[in-house]
Amino acid sequence: MSNDWKNEVSKCSKCGKCHTVCPVFLETHDESAVARGRISLAEALKDKQIGYTEKLRDYVYSCKKCMRCRKVCPSDVDYEKIISALLRGVAENMGIPLLPKIIFRYILPRRILFDTLLKVSSKIQRFIPMKKRGQMRHLPLLFMGKRWIPTLAGKTALQKFRKTRKVENPRMRVGLFTGCLINYIYVDIAEAVVDVLNKMGIEVVIPQRQLCCGTPSSTMGDVKSSKRLAEENRKVFESLELDAIVSACATCTKSIKNDYMHILGPSWKNMSDKIYDISEFIDKFIGDMPGVKPIGEKVTYHDPCHLLWVRDISEEPRNILKKSSRFVDMDMADACCGGGGIFTIIHYDLTLKMLERKVDSIQRSGADTVATNCPGCVMQIADGLAGRNSNIKTTHSIQILQEALKNGETKK
Amino acid sequence: MVMFKRTTREDTKLLKVVNELLRVLGKEKVLSGIEDRLCYSYDGTKQKALPDIVIRPNTTSDVSITLKVANKYEIPICARGAGTGLSGGAVPLQGGIVFDLKGMNKILSICPEDFIATVEPGVVTKHLQDEVAKHGLFYPPDPSSAAFSTIGGNVAECAGGITGLKYGVTRDYILALEIVLPDGSIINTGRKTLRSVTGYDLTRLFIGSEGTLGIFTKITVKLIPKPEKIDTLAAFFCERDNAIDAADLVIENNIVPRTLEFMDQMSISAVRGYGGVTLDEDVKALLLIDIDGTGENIKHDLSVVESACKKKNALRVKVAETSKEREAIWAVRRSISPALYNIAPHKINEDVCVPRSRIKELLQKVDQLNDKREIYVANFGHIGDGNVHVNIMFKDEPGQEEIAEKIVHNIMVEVIKLGGTISGEHGIGNKKSQFMDLEILPKELSIMKKLKDFFDPKGIMNPGKLFPSSA
Ligand SMILES: Cc1cc2nc3c(=O)[nH]c(=O)nc-3n(C[C@H](O)[C@H](O)[C@H](O)COP(=O)(O)OP(=O)(O)OC[C@H]3O[C@@H](n4cnc5c(N)ncnc54)[C@H](O)[C@@H]3O)c2cc1C
Repeated sequence: MSNDWKNEVSKCSKCGKCHTVCPVFLETHDESAVARGRISLAEALKDKQIGYTEKLRDYVYSCKKCMRCRKVCPSDVDYEKIISALLRGVAENMGIPLLPKIIFRYILPRRILFDTLLKVSSKIQRFIPMKKRGQMRHLPLLFMGKRWIPTLAGKTALQKFRKTRKVENPRMRVGLFTGCLINYIYVDIAEAVVDVLNKMGIEVVIPQRQLCCGTPSSTMGDVKSSKRLAEENRKVFESLELDAIVSACATCTKSIKNDYMHILGPSWKNMSDKIYDISEFIDKFIGDMPGVKPIGEKVTYHDPCHLLWVRDISEEPRNILKKSSRFVDMDMADACCGGGGIFTIIHYDLTLKMLERKVDSIQRSGADTVATNCPGCVMQIADGLAGRNSNIKTTHSIQILQEALKNGETKK
Repeated sequence: MVMFKRTTREDTKLLKVVNELLRVLGKEKVLSGIEDRLCYSYDGTKQKALPDIVIRPNTTSDVSITLKVANKYEIPICARGAGTGLSGGAVPLQGGIVFDLKGMNKILSICPEDFIATVEPGVVTKHLQDEVAKHGLFYPPDPSSAAFSTIGGNVAECAGGITGLKYGVTRDYILALEIVLPDGSIINTGRKTLRSVTGYDLTRLFIGSEGTLGIFTKITVKLIPKPEKIDTLAAFFCERDNAIDAADLVIENNIVPRTLEFMDQMSISAVRGYGGVTLDEDVKALLLIDIDGTGENIKHDLSVVESACKKKNALRVKVAETSKEREAIWAVRRSISPALYNIAPHKINEDVCVPRSRIKELLQKVDQLNDKREIYVANFGHIGDGNVHVNIMFKDEPGQEEIAEKIVHNIMVEVIKLGGTISGEHGIGNKKSQFMDLEILPKELSIMKKLKDFFDPKGIMNPGKLFPSSA
């Protein structure tokens, strides 16, 4: 990575428009919690007016990296370059907290070790007192937070799909980038992707040696680990001749499609062009879906930040839901659910505020189910709804399509 | 960045102030780390000066307590809304305390039956507009920054905006203020009634006072019924004067559009191609017009506007059919400011205002002042009010800034000759204070100075702003 963040810093005209969209600023009204403030800190670092302090680290970590600010910036400042440089600077100058470092450097790059450790903790989890809101601590920072998440799957997605399900004369062969949450917890989402695509005559390969996308480590400024993971994943996916790569995780898609362009450079462009969010893929390559019969449930949709604000994808998942259910939009569908890695751990109170607002919107919509396109959001929203003892279900939009396809089969 | 070399004595004093404020306000509201001070050191002018302390009050009493301490130790105080100002108002030029008023952001009451709302100063303007709209009401002052600037900042600058011609500016909607004076005392000006003529109009004195007299802690605004509908039209011209004539003709025909915005050739070429904006090459001037009201009168007004534009040789007139088209037309206007940086990296953004009948002369003068084309000048803005944003763009080359500044100075001189004003809406701050005495004569300036001394004898309120350094 170069010094181009410095150029971006000087492009900021300090107009303050980022105030209007930053989910953290809208809760705190702290200038230190919005792009304009952090850019002024970056500027001071650049001019050697300040050094790396704990306070600075807090302010850098308070960013959700949802990239809304980048999207609305009238001066076209590439804030992502700036926040990445800040995170990297914090890591280089203050170090990375020991535990995440061990996880990022030694565990995430080694699938078997990761699996074993998680297996152990999936045994241990029975001894952890059951809390009302979910059953286990956060992953992969499992020992750090206050978050409670669903039970680990007995068999991971990778294990489940060790052998590619054969499709007769497939019209395409695509690879699935599972991502950690789907691999370890929401195996059913991976299953839905395979089911749906297979039914559309598409073969889905789940490369066994794929690793974490690298977002957790880049969130902590651990560039080295992210790079290592990116390089491994590149090897895995480049060695297979795939027509496309899909992912059902908004954050993983952003990471492997967009962030890898910075990490791996322009040589990743060919691959990057072939990477799609699952709904985007369906919209582009499948379009009309015979055999879909809408399910009776009312379904609403939550926009994951990394899909909407980074990739501008909002219609595609809604189109899927409109075809496969009784779709209702919710107000503020594009508001952040508060989920997302390290932020939820450090700023648990803010996370909860955002979540409560989200759950309000979901309840107001009158939907039976809320669908979204990111397992992180699924986890967060399910936690929020559980907190209110609500009957509303949380799921991935591809799972609604899966059900609608089943529905079409039984009621022919 | 302005930094202050302080003597040890001043340092000791500051330490005392911080400790005293910590004791009375608590550590949540008193920030003195360098990281926090940096985050409150700038505004929309990109100027920077480091405050010594940032105070984040929640109540009028917090403000009052702080001012008492500041007054006792004679520490400068600079109020800050959202820091979007374009004249340097919220930049703490002499250090001291910055008041971050964003935390005082409650709408205290909306009374639909009285057409009145009372708010705290940190409420974002658009939030107020959205909330009163739920009652079918309208708060018209609409600066382009409405989605992120605060009512307090709007009152302190007397912000204008694109609806000014028909609906007036911030001043026209402020009924009453609660103000904390520099000694910590709290006063109330005006009444929460739609009319009140009792005594001197202190409210108006404080509107546009740029944080130099006192801090607003409650603001009562007047509301009006919300227009049913808005329609939008864009008229394309190949001559600047045609566009100006057309705007005149519209108003001569007794049509007062909700907005009447103008863009000149340089502004048009800046936005051409920016963010997907398409504009034909022969378009050299543009009018963007909003008409509001009920369906019936809008239809009538639109047809009058359309024929006025055609009479003045418009190349084309486009009425937006859908909200998408409307959005596309206004996107052109909104993209000017950022797009100008495609022409040159530096910008001086002036907001002069002349009587509408003198706009043509003003633009001719501006042309003449830049006849050697040493820099770039883009003119656009609220033509209906005569408020033209003259944007001077210049490059990173030696001598450019001096040329730009000289041209700005000469523009100010011409504006005054044309009977205009050096600031129509952004305020004076420190950016334009050197031009104050071009417009305000010595006698009037000394009255202003006396008023300032009366309210703020120790000169702690936003020092370095509004008055020329000689005054
Ligand atoms: C993109 C952009 C577009 C803009 N468009 C317009 C426009 O169309 N029309 C227009 O008029 N302006 C416009 N502005 C300028 C600016 O937004 C206005 O001047 C606005 O009123 C400033 O509000 P603020 O809350 O940001 O105030 P700040 O910039 O924080 O402060 C402005 C001044 O108000 C004082 N102040 C703030 N709060 C208080 C208080 N409670 N009591 C006493 N003094 C206080 C400050 O000390 C300072 O002197 C624009 C700015 C930007 C960046």
